[in-house]
Amino acid sequence: MSNDTGATDVKRRDFLKVLGVAGAAVGTVGCAPEKVGKLIPYLVSPDETVSGVSTYYASTCRECVAGCGIIAETRDGRTTKLEGNPNHPLNRGALCARGQSALQGLYNPDRLRGPMIKENGAWKAVEWDAALTVLSQKLRAAGAGNAVFLNQHESGSFPAFLDAWLAGYGMRPHLSVDFESDSAAIEANRRRYGVAWPRLSFTDARLIISFGADFLETWGMLVPQQLDFADARAKIEGAPRFVYVGPRRSLTGLNADQWIACKPGTELAIANALAGMGSIADAAQQSGVAEATLQRLQQELSQAKPVLALSGARGANALELALAVAGINQANGAIGTTVRPAEPMSGIEGISRFSEVATAVERMRAGQVPVAFVRGVNPAYSLPARARFADAFAKVAFKVSFSMYPDETTELCDLVLPDLHSLESWGDAEATRDTVSLQQPAMDPVFSGTRATADVLIQLAQKDPSNAARYAQKDYRSWLIGRFPGGMSAFTATLVKGVGPGTVAARSSSPAPVTTLAAAPPIERTTGDFYLVVYPSPVLGDGRGANKPWLQELPDPVTKVLWSSWVELHPETAHKLGIERGDIVEVSTAAGKVRAPAYLYLGIRPDTVALAMGQGHSSVTKLDAFEPKHADPKLVQWGYGRYARDLGVRAHDLLGVGSDNAGGFALVSTKASISKTADHETLVSTEGSARQHGRGIAQAIPLSEVGTSPHGDAHGVAAVAEEGDKKAPAHGEQIPGAPSGAFLPGLRSPVAADAQGKLGSPSSEDQGTQKGMYAPNHWSGMANRRWAMTVDLARCTGCSACVTACYAENNIPTVGASWQNATVFAEAKAGFNITRGREMNWIRLERYFEGADDAQFTEDFEARFIPMLCQHCGNAPCEPVCPVYATYHSPDGLNVQVYNRCVGTRYCSNNCPYKVRYFNWFGYGEEDRKQYAFPSPLDWQLNPDVTVRGKGVMEKCTFCVQRIRESETRAKTEGREIAPDEFTSACAQACPSRAITFGDAADPQWAVSKQVEDRRAYHVFEELNTLTAVVYLKKVNHPGPASPAKV
Amino acid sequence: MTQRRKWAAIPGLFILAVGAVVLSAYSGASSSQGRGPAQPINFPHPKHAGAEKDGGLGMNCLYCHNNANKSADVGMPAVSTCMGCHTIIPGKADSSKREIAKLVKYASENKPIPWERIHKVPEYVHFPHVRHVNAGVTCQTCHGEVQKMTRVYQYASLNMGWCVNCHVNGYDPKAGQKAAGYDSVPPANYAGGVPYGTPGSTAGVVTASANFTPPGMGLPRDTSTQTAGATPSVQRRRARYDCASCHY
Repeated sequence: MSNDTGATDVKRRDFLKVLGVAGAAVGTVGCAPEKVGKLIPYLVSPDETVSGVSTYYASTCRECVAGCGIIAETRDGRTTKLEGNPNHPLNRGALCARGQSALQGLYNPDRLRGPMIKENGAWKAVEWDAALTVLSQKLRAAGAGNAVFLNQHESGSFPAFLDAWLAGYGMRPHLSVDFESDSAAIEANRRRYGVAWPRLSFTDARLIISFGADFLETWGMLVPQQLDFADARAKIEGAPRFVYVGPRRSLTGLNADQWIACKPGTELAIANALAGMGSIADAAQQSGVAEATLQRLQQELSQAKPVLALSGARGANALELALAVAGINQANGAIGTTVRPAEPMSGIEGISRFSEVATAVERMRAGQVPVAFVRGVNPAYSLPARARFADAFAKVAFKVSFSMYPDETTELCDLVLPDLHSLESWGDAEATRDTVSLQQPAMDPVFSGTRATADVLIQLAQKDPSNAARYAQKDYRSWLIGRFPGGMSAFTATLVKGVGPGTVAARSSSPAPVTTLAAAPPIERTTGDFYLVVYPSPVLGDGRGANKPWLQELPDPVTKVLWSSWVELHPETAHKLGIERGDIVEVSTAAGKVRAPAYLYLGIRPDTVALAMGQGHSSVTKLDAFEPKHADPKLVQWGYGRYARDLGVRAHDLLGVGSDNAGGFALVSTKASISKTADHETLVSTEGSARQHGRGIAQAIPLSEVGTSPHGDAHGVAAVAEEGDKKAPAHGEQIPGAPSGAFLPGLRSPVAADAQGKLGSPSSEDQGTQKGMYAPNHWSGMANRRWAMTVDLARCTGCSACVTACYAENNIPTVGASWQNATVFAEAKAGFNITRGREMNWIRLERYFEGADDAQFTEDFEARFIPMLCQHCGNAPCEPVCPVYATYHSPDGLNVQVYNRCVGTRYCSNNCPYKVRYFNWFGYGEEDRKQYAFPSPLDWQLNPDVTVRGKGVMEKCTFCVQRIRESETRAKTEGREIAPDEFTSACAQACPSRAITFGDAADPQWAVSKQVEDRRAYHVFEELNTLTAVVYLKKVNHPGPASPAKV
Repeated sequence: MTQRRKWAAIPGLFILAVGAVVLSAYSGASSSQGRGPAQPINFPHPKHAGAEKDGGLGMNCLYCHNNANKSADVGMPAVSTCMGCHTIIPGKADSSKREIAKLVKYASENKPIPWERIHKVPEYVHFPHVRHVNAGVTCQTCHGEVQKMTRVYQYASLNMGWCVNCHVNGYDPKAGQKAAGYDSVPPANYAGGVPYGTPGSTAGVVTASANFTPPGMGLPRDTSTQTAGATPSVQRRRARYDCASCHY
């Protein structure tokens, strides 16, 4: 380029000079003095708190029936983070995504602020006293015997308390409702073992067969099961093989070594055949599974003892299946080893059946119910449209809701008395038999107008002369302490740990006799071309999670779809029908029809379609789409709040009201027709390619090769050209320019060696010749440490709890709400930002498929899950391209992002081979923008130790640097060094598979420094010489005894 | 664009840039240094924390700001802390009586005192008081001689250059102690184990014991960067100034 030709010919160098000066000037002018505000002191400083230092309260999670132990981190009176309680027998310190999200239930901006009463069809705020007086009068007037109380199922004293309260008014016991639980499995357990749910031991099993039991999702108790399953798989040699039988590969199914894709409802035939009560040939013929497959399974079953067989298919024959499966367990040495009735999981005891709820609804319809109460459940949403709940409910003269949220059922009620969140109120749960887990308030109520239902019930009784005598206690806490074995001192002692020995005053546990509804007709006799599978979402559950933006933003672990509904079709089917990903498909059954975009999924039978429950919340009141700038803050956001309303479809509306013989809701009970519509939308999904294209991101080795891995050498310099993954490129095309075949052998740069300045070798010979951006002799002493992480893919199940834990810890904004997109040239559609690639999740769970390359149906493909986060490369590609030095390598091995230096060029993201840097497009952390992700009081949850990022900065995983600094400060204050494994990152702490290990790789006492030298260790994209600090351990596959070894 | 037009454009931009720099300098270079707003109660620090020879009570800063050595945030004393003494101390002079009456009013109405905040670093800066106080940095090093201020104002610029200056060049314990008023007389609780004023002692700030080295002592000292104004005998203590020490 010469100086006298082109019209725009300012030399690059000159331009940069001017730009530099001008930029500096603008930078200086841009800094305005900080707005400083006020300092508001305490009136009286609480004894146990120091402002700015967290207090931790042990409590119990109430997000599902399990009742895991949690520790609520509370700073200056606000709970900011939930973590698992390490002392708790159920979850041993882990916590799932739904448990983490309890915080967004607590701080939900759409929570009801105080009691309201409906007068002439319009809601009116009312004082508590007035509300209680009204209710008290209604209770006296009503012929109360037939009242219905629907309560969210929970174990502990409250159900007994509630029954006693109801009995005081002559009302029948309440119904303890959980729409997710599997009544058939519970009933079979009760008949065979005498308990609702025995402890399941995956570690003791040699073979696990799941008949549609999604034990890594919504079946049973997720966290204890997942912990145990991961422990079992981590045994490597001697780990149980896992076979999943069912028409659709759920997340649990994707974790199986083998999938047997039977027709819906034919799990029973297979189970019977395996139990010797039917012929294999018949079962094969009925189920559409190859006879040889079933024979191999039978053979394997005969050799592997003990086995653990689980039933969870929710068809009309669910009870028969559950009993047959119990027979398989009985015959194969499971009782007492893998199935332990002597250690029952008490939390599942006492769940009312779907049929009991449906019967109660019919009594309402018949006009027999004068008063109805609803607490914590949402039947108007959760019951299928065919149940015509709204009509029946309208026949009830007086309807009271204790809901915290403006859900569908509450909207139909006459009086709302908003409950406190479980993080604001007292309670207890039975963790296991003879262990009680206490629930205590971690903070004062967010809204002073809300009251704990238990306290309200006591206040009501005290208003009533005939009942007052029975309630001398002033509140439920006093009642609880009065009933607690050992009294106040034992209560206090238990409270400190959160869990302790003791029995709670459970309600009488003789289960009601089984009532069934009109049995669902056999699925084969319903009309339609496809079997329909409806399943509770692993993320949103039966829909109760939909009002929490963290859960809406958490991609479904299987399909990676978020903020919407989808219809799963096999690519083969879709091809036949001319349907492509994102085409709107209409699914219709005798009960109804829904329209949702198609998702083409390898893991479903070509004759089956599937939909997840959880979305499709709506309101009766006509409400405009939520718009933060113009929304009236006093307007109640009916339809389960701004984050849930009018998203996706209600999948269960496609189902009739049929039950299995245990009274459970038959979710797989009908066929459906599908038709393509003319519409198309971009599926809201974080899935890039479902294939690895030979990149070797998520690697796996078959069990037989584990021992022969080249990583025997501790530091991995052995120049063995063989690698477990040498076959991986065969699955896809070669990377142009990449060395052929195998990637570099072994761990070329164990992070510990990196920390000591010995890159590339454990010997110091090449020290100085290979150097990352790492100063081992930094004067500050920081370089003594090298923060690193290992992720064991043999343990990882892809559950995504780490993702939500990261959101909670690091103030990550959710970006998918319909109002969070650009101001111009954008449509107000949920997930729009995500379809534009503007997602924001510092750690994501990638899911790749191996096999089934030609999209023809096959049972024989493998899924691999890999958490992908900033790899904190020792030789990071992002660092040298930053023009403002906003990202650099710290002496302790972190790849640091300095937000206040960042000017948003995004060069770093372009140069990052892992694509783990995320750009803050619209200022999600700035309160005055419509894209603000933390509308009050969601902002109360923000972690004070982490900067809330503004517009135009790049953000990414920091390795929880705030936790590192906090631990350094604590250690320094106490005059000591940080103890090995003293703290860990948020993702590692939450992980219910214990797959993530975080720590100092330079110190041999930390667990991570041993893990990085595991024989299965590898770096992702090792060939790029990035010298990453995140080390993955290869997944281990367990091929069947008779099937050829596969990678 | 020809060569000539190009060289006409660049000075133009340059002038703009210089103008911007001048403007920014005129605007006070973005610091609130010197700002001392009126407070809801005219709290006399000299009376409480001033040296006894100056007519003060000689109270330790940590008596009221008692989180400074425990927490990242210092916080303000609770109203009940004030009332601990002022329940029985109504004040002597009319002016003090007036101010104490305000305090009693807040306390009796159960209202916190809405103090005007003076010191604030931006939200992307994490400044842990606990690390600094326990390393022996006296409060006065950053906040100025509050014990002599009738109205507290922002003493230091709190700009990054000011932070880094100390982290790089090292903290001068002697100067810090002098600002804290320990310049000539050893404080009553002095237990450093060495004669007062010995280089490196953390007299009056951290009590060292035989088996406990005060945190912050481990960092190497740097003599090469001593400036002319520094006390020659002093051992300056440096601190890490890696970006991610404070920005995350």
